[in-house]
Amino acid sequence: MKERFISSVQIMLQLALTTVGLTGQSYPGKPQIVRCRSQEKETFSCWWKPGSDGGLPNNYTLFYSKDSEEKIYECPDYLTSGPNSCYFDKNHTNPWTTYIITVTATNEIGSNSSDPQHVDVTSIVQPDAPVNLSLETNTSANLSYLWAKWSPPSLADASSNSHLYRYELRLKPEEKEEWETVSVGMQTHYEVSSLKAGVKYVVQVRCMLDLGEWSEWSSERSIQISKEQLPPEKPVIIKCRSPEKETFTCWWKPASDGGLLTKHTLFYSKEGEEKVYECPDYKTAGPNSCYFDKKHTSFWTIYNITVRATNEMGSNVSDPHYVDVTYIVQPDPPVNITLELKKSIKRKPYLVLTWSPPSLADVRSGWLTLEYELQLKPEEGEEWETIFVGQQTHCKMFSLNPGKRYIVQIHCKPDHHGLWSEWSPEMYIEIPTDFTVKDMVVWIIVGVLSSLICLIMSWIMIMKGYRMMAFILPPVPGPKIKGIDTHLLEAGKSEELLSALGCHGFPPTSDCEELLIEYLEVEDSEDQQLMPRHDTPSKNTKIMLKETDSDSGRGSCDSPSFLPVKCRESRSLPSVDGRAKDVRAKEKKGGKASWDTRCTASEQKTLPCESIKTCTWLAAQLPSNQAAMFAYHSTVEAFKITLNTTNVNNSPVLVGNEENRQSLYPIAETVYDVVEKVREMEYAKTDQTTVQVRQNEHSNKSPFLNPKLMDYVEVHKVRQDEKPTLLLKHKENSGKTKKCTVPGTSKEYTKVSTVVDHHILVLLPDQRSQNTPESQEPVAETSRNPQQSQAEKNTSYSTTTPSDSRRDASGSDYMDPSSFMPSFK
Amino acid sequence: GLLLAALLVSHMLLTKEGVTSLPICPNGSVNCQLSLEELFDRAVKLSHYIHFLSSEMFSEFDERYAQGRGFIAKAVNSCHTASLTTPEDKEQAQQIHHEDLLNLILGVLRSWNDPLIHLASEVQRIKEAPETILWKAVEIEEQNKRLLEGMEKIVGRVHSGEVENDIYTPWDGLPSLQLADEDSRLFAFYNLLHCLRRDSHKIDNYLKVLKCRLIHNNNC
Repeated sequence: MKERFISSVQIMLQLALTTVGLTGQSYPGKPQIVRCRSQEKETFSCWWKPGSDGGLPNNYTLFYSKDSEEKIYECPDYLTSGPNSCYFDKNHTNPWTTYIITVTATNEIGSNSSDPQHVDVTSIVQPDAPVNLSLETNTSANLSYLWAKWSPPSLADASSNSHLYRYELRLKPEEKEEWETVSVGMQTHYEVSSLKAGVKYVVQVRCMLDLGEWSEWSSERSIQISKEQLPPEKPVIIKCRSPEKETFTCWWKPASDGGLLTKHTLFYSKEGEEKVYECPDYKTAGPNSCYFDKKHTSFWTIYNITVRATNEMGSNVSDPHYVDVTYIVQPDPPVNITLELKKSIKRKPYLVLTWSPPSLADVRSGWLTLEYELQLKPEEGEEWETIFVGQQTHCKMFSLNPGKRYIVQIHCKPDHHGLWSEWSPEMYIEIPTDFTVKDMVVWIIVGVLSSLICLIMSWIMIMKGYRMMAFILPPVPGPKIKGIDTHLLEAGKSEELLSALGCHGFPPTSDCEELLIEYLEVEDSEDQQLMPRHDTPSKNTKIMLKETDSDSGRGSCDSPSFLPVKCRESRSLPSVDGRAKDVRAKEKKGGKASWDTRCTASEQKTLPCESIKTCTWLAAQLPSNQAAMFAYHSTVEAFKITLNTTNVNNSPVLVGNEENRQSLYPIAETVYDVVEKVREMEYAKTDQTTVQVRQNEHSNKSPFLNPKLMDYVEVHKVRQDEKPTLLLKHKENSGKTKKCTVPGTSKEYTKVSTVVDHHILVLLPDQRSQNTPESQEPVAETSRNPQQSQAEKNTSYSTTTPSDSRRDASGSDYMDPSSFMPSFK
Repeated sequence: GLLLAALLVSHMLLTKEGVTSLPICPNGSVNCQLSLEELFDRAVKLSHYIHFLSSEMFSEFDERYAQGRGFIAKAVNSCHTASLTTPEDKEQAQQIHHEDLLNLILGVLRSWNDPLIHLASEVQRIKEAPETILWKAVEIEEQNKRLLEGMEKIVGRVHSGEVENDIYTPWDGLPSLQLADEDSRLFAFYNLLHCLRRDSHKIDNYLKVLKCRLIHNNNC
């Protein structure tokens, strides 16, 4: 059963297979006309692709009809164009006809026809690709050419070879994708220029008839364009450098090699040697360089270096490079740079930089000497500050701005020649701020403290102002220059000024010096100066009064305690005077009043006044009144007043004895006595002479200061003589020295010595007032005195002038010094 | 007044001299002389100065007269001192005995005495020679003499044996400095200045080496 079953299955399978096989045999598939093409417009061919054959041998038949005819023809030639093609020869080809072509496949079962294909011969023209392409390269005049040749496509019909083709050529470097197409024209060869040397090119050509399509590209041909066949260009030596003054290296820029392998060779010759050497070491310093080691390096020798580039085609030599290694040293940058912040004693931070010479440089032997330069800037700054530090390897930088980050760099250079090294890598340092803040605090504290001290000081000053003033500026005698009249100054006569000062000329004499000393003493009585100016009394009596006043004033100044006494005395005086002469009394009124006021003033004000200043102040006030102006403070005057009083008592005698000098003596003596008394009161000095001298001095001073006060001048003379004589002479000489009184007094002041020698004392007793021995009174007296009549003129002149106007008088007074000046000369 | 000022100045100089020489002359020393170090210090300063001057002078001349004339190529191997065999690199400079080196320095200095004198006078005849060049020529001549004196002092101090006095190269370049042809004359000057620069640098360098060797024991 089983076998039967199996066999039955096999049968079944076989049946099935046979039925399949039966069904596989069918009519042929539809063939497809692939293309029709005419090579040259005169013939054409059509190719088809067979469809499925249906398992049976097929027979293909091509039928065509012409658009002009209904008739159907079969392919005239199935062979010429190969299998599954039909060739239409010239006879069957009509360019003006459209062919309708179909292909029919036939087998045992049936047949199948393709779709009809309409063919216009002129539109299907496409020649075959050109053939026999060959390439050549040619080099001429430094340029490479590519020479391509080919043949036109071969035709099936060898007889018709007269067709003209246009050709196109395309080429590309082998490795590239893009072609470069060149239109060639009718030629069958072409020359390509501007090729790159050393590149392999691929070339194809194609052709076309005057109508139709381009042929296929011909098969590829390729050719290698050879590298340039030229000698290399000139190499250029770029530079030579010695990093440590022991070896050096030269670098060059290679010449363009032109595609050929080019070898560079360095040759050098040294000064003083004929031989030319080749570079000892191409490798150490890298490509395109030559390293000269120590053995090959000489200094103070010029190397003539050239580089030769060589290839197959030849060689080229660089321009010679002359090098003296001495001048091409360029060291490496300094190393081991350290930045350190240190604090100075004042706690101000400063930067300490240290560094080492580059490791290659042997500076220890002295063979190479390096100098350094550093630059720094705040990090955000733009401009570097450059500091040359010479051969040192350290540097301190002060006055850096705190709180800023600085960048520092250093480079170095050999001492004479060579180049600066590269800058060392940037180093950063931040200057801390706290140092300066502390500093600021300290300074602020100092400032506050000092201002506090100043404040305290000034406060104390204010509190104790006067005392301090007195202490710091002790009472100084008033300006001595007051003796000089401003008029003089205005006049600008230096000589006069000098003379007024007591110096009669240059060079100063010993006398002058003496005088100067005296002047110092004189100056105490400033008021006198003022007084005399305004004095210029028209009448002697006035002067008398004034003098008394002045006396009191002065007394007050010198010794306040004594002042009241004087004041009383002076007060008492006028009364006596007034009695003596009515006229004078009259005149005295004003003087009295002024005197009184002054007295009170002096009592009130001068009493407290311990220093001259107050006195001067008094004096300053006094000038308002004429009388006040006469307030002489000199004790001498005070004494005179007293003297005058005595004189007044003796006035009759005096008057009577006016002309008689001798008679005057006793009076003088009495006066002297009085003087003595006064002196005692004032100075309480036992020594009369000294006292008198002093008094005289005082009196002298006043006249000196005010040349107007001739009387005082004369008194001064007296001082130097013996006391008694002084007084006597005073009166006596008044007449004689009339001349002198005006100019003479001035002389005396200038030269005391002369006066002493002559013993000339001008003391004129006041006939009218009797009290005052003042100069002006004497003048008046002299006019009356017969003896003095001669002198009278002069004196009168002097007196009168003052009377006219005080100012004038004062001016005349001042004139005196000038007049006596010449005598010293 | 002038006399007084002169007196004052001379006095100041004297006192200054006295002060500076004080540390050099220790108490009671009979042979009061500068130390070798001091001598070398001065010599080095001087040689440095001389080379500075000659270098400047050469540059000025080169810039002014030698541009584009290719003098450098001609100037090879034509220094009159070339016959003196001097160390040409550091090794040679270190190996040569210091006495020999000192003698060489002396020889070079002496060899320049003559040409420097002529240079100082002839350089004035160069057309439009700038004042700076003239001045430097004179200055170098003077300083070279001073350096020679100093070196003789040093040599006298250092030398153990007798001092060779005959090292000296004559110079016969004066006619070339007086050539009528300007180009030739300028080249003669160029060459002389070039050689001066070189030799002054040599001397400066040798002195610095010697100073480090003799004074600082090769540890400058």
